[in-house]
Amino acid sequence: MALTATLAGCSSLTPSSAGGDGDLVLRVQGMPPATDKPGVALFKKQVADFEKANPGIKVKGSTTVFDPLTFSAKLSGGNVEDVIRVPLTEPQRLIQQKQVQPITGQLKEWEHFKEFNPQVLQPLTDSAGDVYGVPQNPYAQGLVYNRELFEKAGLDPDRPPATWAEVRTAAKKISDSTGRAGFVHESKDNQGGWQLTMLSYAFGGELQKEEGGKYTATLTGEPTKKALGLLKDMRWKDDSLGKTLLNNQNDVIKQFAAGQVGMFMGSPGTYRLAKMQFGMENTDAFGVAPMPQSGGDSTLTGGDIYMVPKSADKKHAAAAVDWLTFAYAKPQYSTDMAAEQAKALSADPKSAVGVPTLPVFDKARQAEIDAAIKPYVNVKLQNFKPYTDGLSTLKLKPEPPFQAQTLYTALDPVVQAVLTKRDADIDALLASAEKDVNAKLAADQK
Amino acid sequence: MALLTPSRRPAAASKEPAPRTLPQRRRGTGARKQLTAWLFLVPALLVFGLFAWWPIVRSLLISFQKTNLVDPAVWVGLDNFRALFDDPLLATAVGNTLFFVGLGLLIGFPAPLVLAAIMSTVRRGAGVYRFLVYLPVVIPPVVAILLWKWFYDPGSGLFNNVLGKVGLGPYSWLESSDSAMLSLVLESTWAGMGGAVLIYLAAMVGIPGELYEAAEVDGAGIWRRIWHVMLPQLRSVIGLLLLVQLINTVQVFTEPYVFTGGGPDNSTLTVLLLIFRYAFQDGEYGQAAALSFLMVLALALLSGVYLRATRSWSTS
Repeated sequence: MALTATLAGCSSLTPSSAGGDGDLVLRVQGMPPATDKPGVALFKKQVADFEKANPGIKVKGSTTVFDPLTFSAKLSGGNVEDVIRVPLTEPQRLIQQKQVQPITGQLKEWEHFKEFNPQVLQPLTDSAGDVYGVPQNPYAQGLVYNRELFEKAGLDPDRPPATWAEVRTAAKKISDSTGRAGFVHESKDNQGGWQLTMLSYAFGGELQKEEGGKYTATLTGEPTKKALGLLKDMRWKDDSLGKTLLNNQNDVIKQFAAGQVGMFMGSPGTYRLAKMQFGMENTDAFGVAPMPQSGGDSTLTGGDIYMVPKSADKKHAAAAVDWLTFAYAKPQYSTDMAAEQAKALSADPKSAVGVPTLPVFDKARQAEIDAAIKPYVNVKLQNFKPYTDGLSTLKLKPEPPFQAQTLYTALDPVVQAVLTKRDADIDALLASAEKDVNAKLAADQK
Repeated sequence: MALLTPSRRPAAASKEPAPRTLPQRRRGTGARKQLTAWLFLVPALLVFGLFAWWPIVRSLLISFQKTNLVDPAVWVGLDNFRALFDDPLLATAVGNTLFFVGLGLLIGFPAPLVLAAIMSTVRRGAGVYRFLVYLPVVIPPVVAILLWKWFYDPGSGLFNNVLGKVGLGPYSWLESSDSAMLSLVLESTWAGMGGAVLIYLAAMVGIPGELYEAAEVDGAGIWRRIWHVMLPQLRSVIGLLLLVQLINTVQVFTEPYVFTGGGPDNSTLTVLLLIFRYAFQDGEYGQAAALSFLMVLALALLSGVYLRATRSWSTS
């Protein structure tokens, strides 16, 4: 009954209103929490600058973060801010469900619009070519590893594994010589499916195909089977995946921060989580490499996306795009703005300034930004070098474009079965998951 | 006399109508009182109607609609129900939920009764025991689950460490489809037992001591006293708590959501977790509402059958 109340209790609350003095009040997500003092100060300065440049608009920041538990209900009830921040897993679903609005027309008015990296914009774009958001700190998945455990296991931390066969060997060495988990694969809260997708990409797989405008799942491809076979061998032959097998991303990063994990698939951004959220003390042990490959030469991309929900009226939507351009697009283009932000953030020793991201524009522009923020960088950049050096050789692939979460939900139990049952039948598991997913996808595309 | 009698009669009669006029006066003020009562009731009824009944009606409507709760909803008839029955996970979720209910009955139901029976014999430090037994109820469920997650940790968890000292294990607990549900039941029994223990203890206090004494005089030992005196006296309380446990366990959500996310391999996927997935992961609000409604119907039916079957308990 709690759910029925939650479902039906949403009402159409007025999302925003004009300010008392006639100003338009724009409510935006993305304000850092009060504990992040430099972040809050930076945000306030941005707001002040924006309000100065856009008289008649008052920006009201919100510290609300994306929570899958409440987000859908709040969004459906029209009770969200005029600018929302979501992870890259969400935009396609929100676009398909028409819960966000296209911002292409107004975004094109910005002089540097055409210089956006098309690969970064692709997951935010619908089939008609309309763009629905502005990305911040985009990343590509790689292999995060503990340099200290590498050394203890007799491995060279400056030469991380480049193939999945090498990952398997390294994981076994770490596991055998240190007793820690050599490699951890996430397996619950849809992250098992998400990680299997990226692993499958590395083996050359595709989990979804589009024909005549209709999407179907292709979970039974040979690369996906090989990827699962690798996990099965690592679990049951090598025993190198550790003891705790039901993990989501936070579980894994928490264990990694405590020095319990040799390797996992993650992005440079997980450094921020390990250090700031889970108190990783020996941050010098954090290393990251590009995604190891076994024939796919691809890696999955992600990041934070700022979007305008459908509940924002025309005036608020227009102001929202102005804010998106000012607060997120320009600082990723302008070296002055980027340096100013880095300086403000570096005031806090607990911060992580300089964590590499994918270029939102082009490589040359990103290089200029990197040079501008260099004096304020407080992370050990050389530990990120294998990642930044190797990334250019890989194709960046977005997540499955249609109902990715449905795929992930179906793949979680497949991953879990392989990790917890010695006799798990990979072919049968994938065939059953594919059938289930395709029934759901077909129903959604009637 | 003849005159007097009638003259008295009216006097007596004048007394008689008094009770008749009283109800008339009551009716007059009663209407006003009723109006006042209704005025006081209206806010509560409105709030109750708006926040309890309207959502239920709305969700019944949604179960026949395809909606994202933003665009106008489209009526789809029984499509949501058909989609539900086409989903193989429904059978898994129902089976798992019934398994949880069964294990709960087997382990979780007798535990508080046994504990209360033991505690009722304790005289010294009874308050301390009651406090200790009730403490888990006060702990927020998610905190308790996170604590037990550490107990269950297959590597460094408390249970495997302790069992290892006597040569048992290590066990996978949450990491194996065979033991995951049992692990959930053990935690939820620990977490929810305190309330039932207190209710049983309160009911046990109400059992007349003479009954035990009489039984003792008749030569009944402790087990006979429990079986023939205590349990029959507690019958209605046991019946009520059984129904409450059935309803609660059918609606299990927090444990599988926080402990295992429904895994491994869907072995702890329950009906409520499936409803949650439909609504908040897949955005299939219609399907979620349809399954919610089926669940409410099933629970109402279960309660009705149960109450009918156990009616004799409370009247005997």
